[in-house]
Amino acid sequence: MRTWTAFACLSLLAGLGGCVTPPPPYDFTDFNRVPPRSILIIPVANRSLDVDASNYVLSTLTVPLAELGYYVFPVNTVKIVLEQEGLYEPEQVRKLEPARLASMFGADAVLFITINRWDAQYVVISTTVTVEMDYLMTGRDGGVIWKTTKRMQYSPQQQQNQGLIGMLVNAAMARAAPNYMPLARQANNQVFVIDTTRLPPGPYAGPKP
Amino acid sequence: MSRSVLAILGLALLLAGCASKPWLYDWGGYDANLYGYYKNPNSAEGFRVSMEQQFKELESRNKKPAPGLYAELGTLYLESGDRTTAATYYRKEHDAWPESRYLMDVMIKNLEKMTPGKKPQ
Repeated sequence: MRTWTAFACLSLLAGLGGCVTPPPPYDFTDFNRVPPRSILIIPVANRSLDVDASNYVLSTLTVPLAELGYYVFPVNTVKIVLEQEGLYEPEQVRKLEPARLASMFGADAVLFITINRWDAQYVVISTTVTVEMDYLMTGRDGGVIWKTTKRMQYSPQQQQNQGLIGMLVNAAMARAAPNYMPLARQANNQVFVIDTTRLPPGPYAGPKP
Repeated sequence: MSRSVLAILGLALLLAGCASKPWLYDWGGYDANLYGYYKNPNSAEGFRVSMEQQFKELESRNKKPAPGLYAELGTLYLESGDRTTAATYYRKEHDAWPESRYLMDVMIKNLEKMTPGKKPQ
């Protein structure tokens, strides 16, 4: 019981900290000059060794951006359209001018994501899972209107009384099947909704509270 | 005991205070299904059925699906070779979201070119 109370108080403090801390401002001048109604998400470029990471991240982006009130172009449809144009690799798409991509799809803004890290490092008795992504948004004219980088890390919780064998098993499991998706979602949520880079509400956000 | 209850209450109150606005859209598991589809392309049909059922349910309550979802269903039909149904859903996306019109017009026109003499509904 004591542990639970301590945990609750800690969460309470952490929560209050999250609610109260005044963030240093991010410069939204360029963003607000557009300001976009619709966002086109380009297939995710991937510098990690995990070939599947690109598609997996693509599936996490629509919900947070649409929930902010933007029209988000259907990511899988966009991917298929680009493939029909012979652009199978995100790196090929990157070679096109952002302004051309925006006009190809009739989008106000284009969002480029690059995965820098998507890995699990195994050090003796603990595993650290890392996801790091670059986010870059351009307007219709191809100029950058918003950008940031986010790194999220996670080490599976070490329980007390677990013993050395238990810790080894825990770490080995995290290495065998590390769970990247919660980290990718958290990274998105941080940059779109929580950090100073959080985007202003889009046209479908509804009345301001 | 009462202390933990208090702690829980405090936490709940705090969460409620911090809690974000209610959801704008009912996603019906779209992101999880898309992830599952990329993980296993054989799940396309299940993905299609799940979206279709969800749209029926939403439409019966006069609500529209989240942005892009009609088009995503259209593309799943396109991938399965059913161009007519694909065009039907592209048209729904077109009508539901003005921001999609430019792209949807292009997609529908391309589909009509691919199936000469058989205009999609």
